[in-house]
Amino acid sequence: MSGYRIRKGKEIAFFLAIAILTLITILPLFHIIATVFINGLPSVAEKGFTFLTGTLSEGGIGPAIIGTFVLMFLSSLIGLPIALLVGIYAYEYPDSLIGKWTKTLLQIMLEFPTILVGVFVMNIIAIPMGSYSAFAGAFALAIILMPYVAVYTHEAMRQIPFTYREASFGLGLTRIKVIFRLLVPLSKRGVLTGVLIGMAKVAGETAPLLFTAGGLYQSYSIGIFKPVGAIPLLIYTLVQSPSKVDHATAWGASLVLLLIFLLVFIPVRMSLKEVKL
Amino acid sequence: MSDFAIETKKLRIYYGENEIIKGIDLKVPKNVVFALMGPSGCGKSTLLRAFNRLLELNKEARVEGEVLILGKNVYGNGVNPIDVRKQVGMVFQYPNPFPHLSIYDNVAIGLKLNHLVKSKEELDERVKWALEKAFLWDEVKGRLDDYPASLSGGQKQRLVIARALALKPKILLMDEPTANVDPIGTRKIEELLFELKREYTIVLVTHEPMQAARVSDYVGFLYLGKLVEVGLTREIFEKPKHELTEKYVTGVLV
Repeated sequence: MSGYRIRKGKEIAFFLAIAILTLITILPLFHIIATVFINGLPSVAEKGFTFLTGTLSEGGIGPAIIGTFVLMFLSSLIGLPIALLVGIYAYEYPDSLIGKWTKTLLQIMLEFPTILVGVFVMNIIAIPMGSYSAFAGAFALAIILMPYVAVYTHEAMRQIPFTYREASFGLGLTRIKVIFRLLVPLSKRGVLTGVLIGMAKVAGETAPLLFTAGGLYQSYSIGIFKPVGAIPLLIYTLVQSPSKVDHATAWGASLVLLLIFLLVFIPVRMSLKEVKL
Repeated sequence: MSDFAIETKKLRIYYGENEIIKGIDLKVPKNVVFALMGPSGCGKSTLLRAFNRLLELNKEARVEGEVLILGKNVYGNGVNPIDVRKQVGMVFQYPNPFPHLSIYDNVAIGLKLNHLVKSKEELDERVKWALEKAFLWDEVKGRLDDYPASLSGGQKQRLVIARALALKPKILLMDEPTANVDPIGTRKIEELLFELKREYTIVLVTHEPMQAARVSDYVGFLYLGKLVEVGLTREIFEKPKHELTEKYVTGVLV
């Protein structure tokens, strides 16, 4: 009888411990989201639509929002094709010298301090060209983006059971067709998850932009080889200012950044159909 | 043109240093069901994959000797494995229709990617034809856009057969096609074999001697990488010449 009670008691204690630990883990996440909403909402509500469209002197962060999208678009344009090909290559030729090197290199790049990427790109692009630019910023972000996408692509492809590979080749298809017409589509959920994580990462990065993008918040003169703003970069700048107004704008910008992240990421992630085996 | 669908000459297969198939001379006549039977690990699946050069997906594997498909050595110089695989269809142990493609597209994909049909109408026709050949059309005609996850194991396997038939191969290789299929599904696939052998040569790998007895015209008994005995199914089962064969077909040797 008492043996049963002890077992039952242990089970409850264990359950409670797990529940509390889980709570502690996710609490900061909810705290961040709540804080951003509480502090950001008033400043966005006060300015209304102007906050999204106006320049900084008008009390808005319009150029920064556009800048973030421009940077996301350009860095994806540069980084995604290369990253996808690298990931596929590492899957298809795992034993080749380049394949092995690629895998190791990607792991290092994942953990590489992003500020160094900024410094590197400043030296090879911003300084020679004599100006900060959207191109330099996007290039730095592409370097951040690529290892994520490549590693996820590689992993997603590796999950494909061998039997589908056999089935594909069994149809008398060339290697190119097997990979691009059958195996990549088969693992599209994993591949696209990598793409999204890479893009979300890029949307929130500040360090690589510090010495490359320059910042542009007072006008909409967007150009690939002109300086460009970005929401995280703007937040970084505003928080350093002594002015209360700037702090409020920074909170508002944080909210916009969070919403962009949630609005882009969650629906796409949910709409991707799981391939049922 | 040779009288045999498949002929192997001194065929040896290695995985790295291990010799898996130890010198096999085999002749498979046309339009029969030829069963390759033997206990697990005797090299049946490996031998089967040598016939359509699918073995090359395994980088460890090395083939010596000749495999003649309809008289032509597929390991000869300048032979493209892709052409071999179009002629020699394959069905696998695990029912593996492509999970991300609809039932229709599973049958159509090989035709599309190999540019074997000229119009949408021809494609529709060929898909229907292949599904009918595989005895599956009546069960799926109303839901061609569904995904294969909605099919039973036996239906999936018949879909894979349709996928292979769509390319109009001469030979069909089947690697334990009923190993993951329930008894009713198994019976349907076995019935299908009788129908298919009129037009195709079928090489069936099985580890069940009873299945070989039920469906095959000829049988080859493979043991530890060697072909112990080969001949008409009836003769092998009624009067096996070799002691090992007798033990295997009576269930003593597993």
